Amino acid sequence: MAKPPIRKPKKKTNPLLAAKIGYIDYKDTTLLRKFISDRGKIRARRVTGVSSQQQRQIAKAIKNAREMALLPYTSTAR
Amino acid sequence: MSTPLRHYEVMVILDPNLEERTIAPSLDAFLSVVKKDGGTVEKVDIWGKRRLAYEIDKHGEGIYAVIDLQAEPSAVLELDRQLNLNESVLRTKVLRPEER
Repeated sequence: MAKPPIRKPKKKTNPLLAAKIGYIDYKDTTLLRKFISDRGKIRARRVTGVSSQQQRQIAKAIKNAREMALLPYTSTAR
Repeated sequence: MSTPLRHYEVMVILDPNLEERTIAPSLDAFLSVVKKDGGTVEKVDIWGKRRLAYEIDKHGEGIYAVIDLQAEPSAVLELDRQLNLNESVLRTKVLRPEER
């Protein structure tokens, strides 16, 4: 008989950011790249493990960076 | 009469075919609008040529410049308008960093 799937939600090693960064700058592409998938999509909060306020700031920064061609809107394969 | 000065950050993407040495003077010319109106330019950071994440007007790369300035809202509006009228400016973005 299969074990009942008891998932204990793994606590994320929280906001990678809480450590240092206060203001999320859209020019900091190396930081922002950690929050997009290899297709260029913004990673969900349950993946990144940041606070909802930070997630919102990150999303905004990524969108600003996209407008200025610092980050791709899409990138097919890679 | 004058509205308070505010801190703005302006990013400009310029045509990659421009000569590197003409960039600083031409940016300066644009910024005269701000200075004339009592604003101050704090920093002009020319990043140089950089790959674009996607093509803009058939250009694969662009020359990036970031300008920090203190100015009245109306002066910045005018600066942005004039930048966008210029053919060698591919794109601009004006931001107030301390908002939010």
